[in-house]
Parts: sequence; structure tokens; C-alpha cells
Amino acid sequence: MNSAKTVGVFIVATLVGCGGDQSAEPPLAGGLTTVDEASSHAFMQPASNLDDAAMDLHLAGDVAFEAKFVTAPAPVNAGLGPLFNNNSCNACHLRNGRGVPAVGGQGLRSHMLVRVSEADGEQPREAGNVPTAEFGDQIQDHGVFGVEPEAIVEITWTEIPGQFADGEPYSLRKPVVKLTRPDGSLVEGILTSLRQAPPVFGLGLLEAVPAQTLIELEDPDDKNDDGISGRVNHVWSNQLQDFVVGRFGWKSNQPDLYQQSASAYRGDMGVGSPGYPDAEGNIEIETEIVEAAAFYARSLGVPKQRDFAGREQFRAAGCDACHVEKLSTGFSEFEFLADQEFAPFSDLLLHDMGEGLADGRGDFLASGTEWRTAPLWGIGLTQTVAPGATYLHDGRARTLAEAILWHGGEGEKSKERFRNMSKPDRDALLDFLQNL
Amino acid sequence: MKTPWLILSLGLFAVGCSDDSGTVATSDFDDTVVIQNYVDSVMVPKYSLLATRAQALEAAVETFAADRTQANLEAAQQAWRDARQPWEQSETSLFGPVDVNGYDPAIDSWPLNLTDLNAVLASDVELTQAYFDGLDASIKGFHAVELKLFGADGMQTPDGLNPRELQYLRFAAADVAKTANLLADSWTAGQTPYAEVFRTAGEANNTSYPSRSAAAQEIVTGMITILDEVANGKISDPYNQRDQGLVESPYSFNSIRDFSDNIRGAKSAYMGDFDLASKNGRGLDEWIAERDPQLNDRVIQEFDAAIEAIEAIPAPFRDAILDDAGRAKIQSAIDAILVVKNTVESDVQPTVRGDR
Repeated sequence: MNSAKTVGVFIVATLVGCGGDQSAEPPLAGGLTTVDEASSHAFMQPASNLDDAAMDLHLAGDVAFEAKFVTAPAPVNAGLGPLFNNNSCNACHLRNGRGVPAVGGQGLRSHMLVRVSEADGEQPREAGNVPTAEFGDQIQDHGVFGVEPEAIVEITWTEIPGQFADGEPYSLRKPVVKLTRPDGSLVEGILTSLRQAPPVFGLGLLEAVPAQTLIELEDPDDKNDDGISGRVNHVWSNQLQDFVVGRFGWKSNQPDLYQQSASAYRGDMGVGSPGYPDAEGNIEIETEIVEAAAFYARSLGVPKQRDFAGREQFRAAGCDACHVEKLSTGFSEFEFLADQEFAPFSDLLLHDMGEGLADGRGDFLASGTEWRTAPLWGIGLTQTVAPGATYLHDGRARTLAEAILWHGGEGEKSKERFRNMSKPDRDALLDFLQNL
Repeated sequence: MKTPWLILSLGLFAVGCSDDSGTVATSDFDDTVVIQNYVDSVMVPKYSLLATRAQALEAAVETFAADRTQANLEAAQQAWRDARQPWEQSETSLFGPVDVNGYDPAIDSWPLNLTDLNAVLASDVELTQAYFDGLDASIKGFHAVELKLFGADGMQTPDGLNPRELQYLRFAAADVAKTANLLADSWTAGQTPYAEVFRTAGEANNTSYPSRSAAAQEIVTGMITILDEVANGKISDPYNQRDQGLVESPYSFNSIRDFSDNIRGAKSAYMGDFDLASKNGRGLDEWIAERDPQLNDRVIQEFDAAIEAIEAIPAPFRDAILDDAGRAKIQSAIDAILVVKNTVESDVQPTVRGDR
């Protein structure tokens, strides 16, 4: 009995000693879906809490996600093109993570793509902007045999020097995109936005966050006067034939994983599915295949946060105002996603990120300077999964520090806090990210 | 009784405040020798042998192109099989530059884009090196070379290729050799040879592998992944669907050897050895044996049983999936691979992670 009392005393002492909401282990990054894997396979693990039926669906999805499409007719995976950017999902989402900033042919196919639109004109209800007559809303820089690509994409990088408050210099780079038609003429006079493939794990959790939660996180008029507004994108849902909350894509322009996946099959691979025919009106895969690919992303596990040293600096810089540390799902038709508390480090809202990052190309409610807060979970494993992979929507940031230093607009204050930190504090903050 | 509780509670306290101390121990794997040997005896020799044998393939194709005899055709076919072997054995380790730099899709794209390949061969566009270089990876690589060397029905004859096909074969074989060379170099040359990234796992500033335990996880999860892919994908898909169109390496009738080399590759990863280049050193086998010798014996025995079961499938695999005797052998092979997969997953992986 005495012993039991002693334990009680010390447990209390432990809690007091640590103070606040600090706990022994970092929070479970993906709730019960969290996986313990710190290798290049970290983004490729099924969620830890799948039952047998969900696991079977996940494995079918894995096959769909890997399938390399070829030109029809063909006995398997027919339907590539006629125009495309790449030929399988994971050819850009490398090992389910980010791509590397590469474009063009010559063996290494594009891992990036260029979205395009007109500055003015009539915007279809279901589109986020005005598609160009010549290219639609995306440049497909590859074609099957006999089909010219829409344009050749070339990227050059401009270096922009800067320095931390303590005098340590750094250099940021910004992409300059050049589009050339196969006939050699330059593509000019349209809006362009270079995009890198984002990681695809944990998306089921993001899909299952109640819309109401996101609406409550909004502060469009900055009523709390913290310099950060944050707003929901409202985008067209093909399934509901109505505007709903946007969740996926760099500007939150997709409402759900099915629509995201079907659009990617069509836009990135030229593979048509019911409701999403390719450029020639062809339907090449059934709804079930799109469902499978969407379910695969939905049911991937989130790698666990390995440590939380540096959280103090992360919070001191105010990163957590947008990269919010805790979200919850509500009801989900998928049992493994329902009622989970998890740590995406994102509010899924649009924020003005300043002129430096602006693409000047709106998307539904998102303006040319607004971007969705990128989830930071797993970001520390980026180089393990794909050495040389880069950060931000267009892959301009070669390191996590560069990614922070690009923040402007609503993120300006946090960026400046980081820039003014001592080197040990900056390193601690980066360590924190490195352990996500 | 008070003192032990005090110590226990202080222990809890220390863990409870790990956000200040900055460490959360996750594994007791900390064996530098195993990791370094994995680079020196497994990864670098595998890619190096791939580069050497791919070069030999290119040379054998050139010899055949210059003098189209049955003997030269067979020599080129054998060179293809030989080059295939280190590649299949490396598929247990698809981390690092192989994927990111596009070497995997360039060398081993499957399925081939036959519609495009046939269109290129039927067209009258001049087949120059520059034109070939601009063509898509999905009509190049091992399987494009395989198709032309062995023929769509596996019955290629010395005069079975027209001049354009022969030229295409020469470009494709040279391209495999070039890619294999780039892959080997990505581990050993350039500004950041990947061998150094993996070798220095656990050292300060290594953001890819902040711990040696993470590097060990890389080895083990790679083994599990290829065991799973061979059992549940490469063999099961054509077997379950009785579909010859899903068989990999169908033209060369090499599927069974592809499968067994995949499993040999996983075993090589476990052992820290690479028999094809007579390399051996301290592997996970020794590390596991020091902790659980029976487990180690079991893993090795199950690997050997799986390889034996695959090799017992009557060739060619694409016919075996359609007849009862063959199907029984295929099922036994799938079962045997899953046995070793489950052992690695349930016993080896937790031991490396420090969970048991």
C-alpha cells in the first residue's frame, strides 16, 4: 500500500514537473493510423488500424497507384494520353512523397507541371479560373507516339541573396518558367503556375475533418488581430453539383479525394474515367480504379513524429498559428478515420503568403497570393524518401530553412522571427521539423 | 520498497520531459559495421555488377548486329539474362537515387508501351541517336531489349529482325548500359555519392538517416516490400487472373529466375553478402544471431525454402499459371515466400526496432 501511494505522489510530481500540455511522447501524428517507419518506405505504409476488408481495398489501391499506363490498345493499363505529363501516379508522387523539380523528357519524365489560365474571360461554374483555349488548364508536355506535346517546359532559377539577423548569408531561388510550342514559338500572355506533386499520405484524415471545423478556424477579417486571417476555399463538387469546402491541392481547389484522383488521371496522364473523359472523350478506366487510387491515399498511414525538441521555437515564431498542431475528424464512413485526433500541422485554410510566393493565378476563392497551409507531418522524412526532393508549391526551396524564408504576407511576422533567431534557436526549430 | 519506486518514478519523470532533453529512444540498433557493410558488400557491388553486365550486354548485341549467327544471338540472350540478375537482386533496395533520378523507370519500365514501340518501328522517321534519346522511357529498357532479342513469342531467329529493329535494339541495349552506369555512379561518384549518405547514418547532419536504426529499418522494410511484391503481385496477379498478359519478362521465359533473384536479393540484404560478386561481411543475420540465434536460423532456412519453391515451378511461368500441376507448384512458392515475409515482419523488424 505504501508503495502505491509513493507511485501516486511521483506521478503527480511528473505532471507538475513537465507543466502545461507537455506529454511524454509526441502526439500521434496520424491518430490511430500512425506508423512507425523512418525509412524511404515511410510514406508507403498502410494505416495501422485497417481491418482485413480495408487492407484488401488498400492493396488493390496500391496496384492502381503504381500502374504504368501505356498507349491504347494494350492488354493492360491502356489509355495513356494522347497528351500527358507522366504515366503513373507514383512517377510524380515519388514513393508517395514529393517529386524532384525536374521537367522534360530524356529518360527522366516531368515530376512537375504547369497550370495555366487566362487573366480574363468567362469562367465556367465548375472551374476555378478561365481555362485557355489552346491548352485548357494545364500544359501537357508529353504526347504518345505521333502526338506533339502542347509545349516544352523549361525552368531556370534566379538566385536571390539574403541574410539572417546574425549576418549569416543565405540564397533563395525562384523559378522562371519558359513555355515553347513544338513549332518553336514562345507561349505568352497567359497566367502560369508551376506545381510540384505533394505527398499523398494522411489524406483520409484531412478529408474527414468536418467542414464546420474549417469554417470555425476561419478569420477572414482578422478579428483576433494576430495578422493572420485564413479562409476556406469554396470549390465545385462534381458529385454534389454544388460548391463545397476545398481541401486538397496547393490552393485547396479540390473538394475530395475522388475528384482529385479522377482529375489527376485525366489531366496528368490523359486517362479518362466516367465523368472525367480525356481530351478525345475516351473513358479508359472504370470508376472502381479511381476509387481504388483514392482509397489508397485515404488509407496510408502517417509516419510518427519522432521527437519534439524545438517545439518551443516553433511556437515562439508563431508557426503554429497556421500550421495548427491538432485537428480532429468526426464521423467517417471509413471506420479507421472516424473520431481521430491527429497532428497535420495545417489548418487547411488559404492564407496570403505575400508577393514573393504569389503565382498571380486565382483558383475559385483563392487569390493569386493565397496558398493553402501545407501539412508538415512527415516533412522531416522528405530527403529519406526522395533525396533531392524540394519544398513549396513549385519546388523552389531546397531546404526547410529556405521554405521558411519564403514566407511573406500573413507568414511575414513568423519568417522575421525565424530570421532574427540565434543560430541555436533556428537549428532547434529546424530540428523540430526534421523530426516530424 | 521505497527506493526502487523512487528510481522508477524518476525514470518516468525523465521520459516525461524528453521535449527538453531532446531524445526519444526508439531502437537499440546501433551497429555501424552492419550499415557500412551493406554499402560495401551489397549496394555498391550490386550496382557495379549491373553496370559491368549491362556493358557486356551492349557488347554482345553489337557482336550479334555485326554477325547475325545463332551463336551470337544466343550469346546476346545470355548476356541479357546475366545483366538482369544483379538488377533483380537490387530490387530489395529501391531507395536513394534509383527512383528519384528515374533510373528504375528508364531501365525496367513494365508494361512496355507496345503500341508506341511498334509505331516507332513502323514509321519512316530516321532512327538517329538523338531521335532515340527523345523517345519515352516506356519503350526502352530491359524489356524492350528482351522483346527484340527473344521475340514476342520467345522464338527469335538470327534473321528475325529487320534493319530498323536491329538498330533500335542496339540503341536500347546501349541505353540500358548507360543507365546502369549512371545508377552505379550515383552511389560512388559526384558531389554527394549516395554510399556516403547511407554509410554515415546516425552521424550529425545526416538528415536522411538520422539514426543507424533508421538505416536498418531501410534494409528490413525493403526486404518485406520485395517479398510482398513477388508473392502478392508479380506471381499472384497473373496466377489469380490466369492472365499471361500480366507476366513480367515473358519473352525470355525468364520470369521464374526474376522471382528467385528478387528473393535472393532480399536474402543478400539480410546476410550483408552478395554472392554474385563474392562479397560478404557482417549483416543483419549476425546481429540477429547475437540476440536470437534460433530466429536467425529460421530466417535463413525460410529464405532457402522460398527460393527452392520458386525454382520448382515448371518453366515457362506463363504456361505454368494455366495448368494444374504448375498451379500447385506456384501456390507452394507463394506460401513459402509469405512464410519468410511473415517472419521478417513479425520477428526481425520488431527486433531491429527495439520493440521486442
